[in-house]
This record gives sequence, C-alpha cells and structure tokens, in this order.
Amino acid sequence: MIAWSSVTLDNLDIQNEADKAHRQGCISPETQEAIRKAHPVDLYTPNLVIRIGLFLLTCIVIAFTSGFFLLLALGSDTATGFRVAVILASLLCIGVLEFAISQKKPYRSGINEALLWSAVGLFCCGIFIENYDLSENAWALTVLILTALGTLRYADMVSSAVAYLAFLLLVFWQVIKIPYGTAVMPFLLMGISLAVYLASSRLVKRRALRHYSDCLTVLRVLSLITLYMAGNYFVVRETNSMLLMPEAPTDIPAGWLFWALTVIIPPLYIYLGVRKKDAVLLRTGVILVAMIVFTIRHYHSVMPLETAMAIGGLVLTGGAWALIRYLHTPKNGFTYAPSDEAGMADQLKVESLIIAQTFPPTARPADTHPNFGGGSGGGGGASGDF
Amino acid sequence: MNIDTFSKLQKEGLISDEEMQRVTHAENNRLFSLHWEIKSALYLGVLLLSGGLGILVYKNIDTIGHQVILLFIALLCIGSYAYCFRHRAPFSREKTESPNAFYDYALLLGSLTFVTFIGYLQFQYTVFGTAYGLATFIPMVVLFATAYYFDHLGILSMAVTNLAAWAGIAITPFQILSQNDFGNENLIYIGVALGIGLVALAELSEKRNFKKHFAFTYRNFGVHIFFIAAIAGMCIFEKWYGLFFLLLAAGAYLTWHRAFRDRSFYFVLLAVLYGYAGVSILLGRTVFNHLADDIYSGFLYMIFSTVGVILFLINLNKKIKQQ
Repeated sequence: MIAWSSVTLDNLDIQNEADKAHRQGCISPETQEAIRKAHPVDLYTPNLVIRIGLFLLTCIVIAFTSGFFLLLALGSDTATGFRVAVILASLLCIGVLEFAISQKKPYRSGINEALLWSAVGLFCCGIFIENYDLSENAWALTVLILTALGTLRYADMVSSAVAYLAFLLLVFWQVIKIPYGTAVMPFLLMGISLAVYLASSRLVKRRALRHYSDCLTVLRVLSLITLYMAGNYFVVRETNSMLLMPEAPTDIPAGWLFWALTVIIPPLYIYLGVRKKDAVLLRTGVILVAMIVFTIRHYHSVMPLETAMAIGGLVLTGGAWALIRYLHTPKNGFTYAPSDEAGMADQLKVESLIIAQTFPPTARPADTHPNFGGGSGGGGGASGDF
Repeated sequence: MNIDTFSKLQKEGLISDEEMQRVTHAENNRLFSLHWEIKSALYLGVLLLSGGLGILVYKNIDTIGHQVILLFIALLCIGSYAYCFRHRAPFSREKTESPNAFYDYALLLGSLTFVTFIGYLQFQYTVFGTAYGLATFIPMVVLFATAYYFDHLGILSMAVTNLAAWAGIAITPFQILSQNDFGNENLIYIGVALGIGLVALAELSEKRNFKKHFAFTYRNFGVHIFFIAAIAGMCIFEKWYGLFFLLLAAGAYLTWHRAFRDRSFYFVLLAVLYGYAGVSILLGRTVFNHLADDIYSGFLYMIFSTVGVILFLINLNKKIKQQ
C-alpha cells in the first residue's frame, strides 16, 4: 500500500537510530558506518533547506502547468472545459509523483508534498468549481476520501490531519440534522476525539503501522486539540449562536459545564504529560493554556490588556527562571539541558531571526517629521503607538 | 532510541555487547528535556513584559510624569545589564557559551529597554535636536557593542536591522518586501551597497577569526538584501537593467563559489534561486516581450526551465553530499 518499499523505510529508521546513538557517544563511528553499509537506504531525502526550495519550485511548475492547461481550455465557454483541464492537471501530478517514486525514490523531498497537495487541491477544484448544488456532505466526503487515500499511500502528515478534520466535519453535518443535534454535538465530538486519541496512542506503538507513526502522532495532537475545542465555552457558544441565528441566545444551556471544561482540560493535559513524560500531552496542554486566557478575556474583562500582558510576562519570566534554577541538576527525570536531537533550527539560527522580526526598527523617517523613536526599534510594540 | 532496533542489530553482529550496554544504559537513564518549553516561555515573557509595560506607560503618561518613566526604564535597563555583567563569561574572540538561558533574555530585555530609552529621550526632549540619524545611530552602536561583548546572535540581528534602518531600509524577514518602496532608485543603490557591505563584514569576521559564528547572520542579511535590490533594479531601470543583471550574476557566482567551499546548502539554494529569477527576468525583458505568442511561450519556458532547475538541484544535492 505504501509507495516505498518497506525494507528501505525500515533501513532508514535503523540508520536514524544509529545516528542518534552515535551522537550520544554510545557507538563508535566504525559501527555506525557498518550499520549504514548493512542497511542501505536508496531514498532521496534532501535536507530541510533544499526541501523547501524544491517544494517552492515544484509549486511553480504545477501552477504554470495548470495555467497552461487552462489557457488551452479557454476556448470552451462552459465550466466543463475548466473542470477537465484542472482534473487533468491533478491526474498529471499524481502520475508524475508515482513515476518519480518508481525512478528516483524521493521521500519527503519537497517534491512529494508539492505534487500530492496540489493533486488533491486541483481535484477538489475540478469537482467544486461552479458546482453550486453540491451538498456539504459530498464536499467533506470528497476531501476525506482523497486525503485518506493520500495518507495511506504516501504517509503524508498534512493529509492525515486534513482527513481527520474532514471526518469531524462530516460527523458535524450529519448530527446537526437530527433533533437536539446541537445540544449533543459537543459531547459527541469530544467522545470521538477521545476515541481517536486513545486509538492512535495505541496504534502508534504497533509494529505493523511503524511507517505511519508520524501520521498517528499528528492525529494524537489534533485529537487532543479537538477534544478541548469541542468543550470550549467560546467555541460552543459562538457555534450555537451561529447555527441558531434568528433566536440569538445570550447564553447556552449548561454554560457552567463548558466553563469547567474550558478551564480544567489544559492543566489536566499538562499534569498527565508531566506524569507520563509525554511531550505531546505536555506541549498541547501548554499551548491550550493560551486558549483559556483568550476565552476568559473574551467574556469577562478581568483587567486591562496591558496589565494582563505585564503580569503574564512577569509570571512567565519568573516561572521559567525558577524552573531553570530548579532543574539546575536534573530532577525526577526532567532536565533543562537540550535534547540530543540536532535541530535544523539551530543551524539556521532561526531564533535570532525571530527576535529581529518581533522587535523591528521602524525605518528612519524622512527628515521632516520627528516620530517617536525616530527609527529606533523595540519597546516591543510600544514604539509604534506613540 | 529504540531498544528493539538495537537488539536486532546486536543479533546481526553489527554492534558489540559493550555498545549495546551503553545504548540500554543511555535509554534507561534518558531525561525528559524541557529546554524548548522553558525557552519559549522566557521569550514570550520578555515579549509580553516589554509590550505591556510600554502600553502601561503610554496610557498613564499624564499621571506618572516623564522623569519617573525615564528613571524606571533606565533602572530596568541598568538592572538587566548589571545581571549580565555579573554572570558573563570573559570576553573572547571565539563563541562563548552563555551561562544560562535567563542570561540571554535579560540581555535582550536590557538592549530593548535601552533602545526605548534613547527613543523616549529623543521624542520627549529632542536631545539630539534635528539630527534624527543620531537617534538610530546610537542604539545601533550600543546594540553592536552588546552583541560583540556579550556574544548574542539575537541582538546582532537587531543591530543589523538597525543598521539597515539607519540607512533607510527595512530588512526584517517579513518587512523586506512589504515595507520597502523598491520603485525608489536610491533605495536600490543603498540595498546593493548594504548587501555588499554586510557580506564583506561576514568575510572579515571569518578571515580575522573575530566572532566567526557571526558570519552567518551578516551573510544571510547581506545576500538577501543584495539580490532583492539587484532584482528590483532589473525590473525598474529601463536602460540599465543589463548592468544590474551583470551585478546579480556576479553576486550569484560568488555566493555559489563561497557556499561550495563552506558546503552550505542554504546559500547554494539562494544562489540558484536568485540567479534563476535574474535570468528569467532578463529573458522576459529581452526575448518574450517581442514574441508573437508570448503567453504560450512564456508558460512553456517557465515550466521547462523550472523543471530543469529542480533536476539541477537534485543532482547538486547528491554532489555536495558526496564531497
């Protein structure tokens, strides 16, 4: 089912493990070389930089090719001409992808992603364009089928994410039609998310599914997020008032329950993440804390924004400082030392670019009107307001 | 690391028992790293704190009074710098390790508040009179000094963007295309000169072995601003676009050459992409303008040439790997 040979993917995994062991000084360079020899990988996987470059270039080629097809279809006045052109372009993308894999075995090369995503996108375009009486169900179902096929064949993480969301949308549109559907919806979606989370957490350990482990990890993160979002007060309330627009209710039934869910779930994730030493739970929980803050602030003006920002900043900085001190020597299996995975981010000095981006100096004003800061940067957002 | 994989390798006789033991030991004693979580929290904290304080000050300016605010900013700045002075590693021409992550962000906070301080002085009291350049020049000098003295890449990036702002260009990653008016001829000259200057700085720091690891930041900013300015020049000048093409070609060649010596995929990619864009624009201006079926031939050219570049990059990648 998967496009590459299973043995090669296994060998790739073995080589990566050997690299890790070598970085940690567990095995000698000779051993690493011997492992590489015994388990050869003939896939073409460039590093991240080249991958991005190839992705952009492939997208340009696809855009111009589909454009060329559309130019040729310009003669026919009906939408059918366009549709045929776009679907032809989509099939061509898949054809090229399959051909490339059989010849040069590109694997996560940027070319793969560009071709697959464009193929799915173009195919959907071909179906949906000027097709006004297509129901939402058909819409979601098409996306679900295409991305599910893409996931199975190419183990693509984005495809699996889109497939999951399309699936939830499909459920959403079914349930909305039954009586009391809107009332049951949050709990149903939460139940599905929980089931998907538990299932993917189990399946990710299965050896038979080892080539899909990245996709399953994506599913774990997403299902945790949808589990929270389905019970989040803001999401539930806004969706409700969107669906029942004429009545425009000011509050939702059992509002306290959703408030409780909103506030409890992220700390629960963090707690479980710390206990199980599970990075997925921990990081998702930390990110969702921001959603708690947002939800509360949206309905209750607890304090002015700037005070909240300053206090939040103090708490974050102080907390991080305390954690660094606490973890000065590793405790309970936690450490502050960077993990052994060598990241591309370090190599490209991404952090320094982010700093330069978030504290930009405003370009020097023409020498006529003095502006605050006169082009000096910083004060992080303060300078712009003066 | 996956123990199963290694026990399989052990059975195949690829790793020795001693190595297997080391792997098992390392895996069983593996610690859970909170490095990125803490760093992100620190970064977000500094961002929120400086932003929130800025707005607070702005809103309460009538009640607090300027001197108090200035004093507060100055104290925060001095405090941060004092912390860094106490904990810094001795100055070295090489890369120095920062004592802890908090130090990095304290330094960031200190630099930011200093920049705000100078800006505030100029805004409220026009200390520098009408010499507006000075109000960007002084923070720039301080930022450069801080970056070199305490060895901080983030502050170096800020210093470089300040240098560009002093010259009149925005070069932060998201503003480089949106904030600059490349229709302005002057800006193009400045961009080309600034790009060359920054790359020269990168070369100097490597040659003189003075903060060698700063070279990447200089070169990164320099190469981008140079190529973008040159491409803008090719699009705008009616008569002299050939000249800008030659400039761009020379730049691409040098970048390419240099990147091969450093075995840097990133700069090879930049040289190829910008070079290709230059060639395409040149062809567009000279050839496709005068063809009858220009749309069709243009599309076909784009398709085939881009496929060519893709194949070229793939082969190149293998070549660099084999070296």
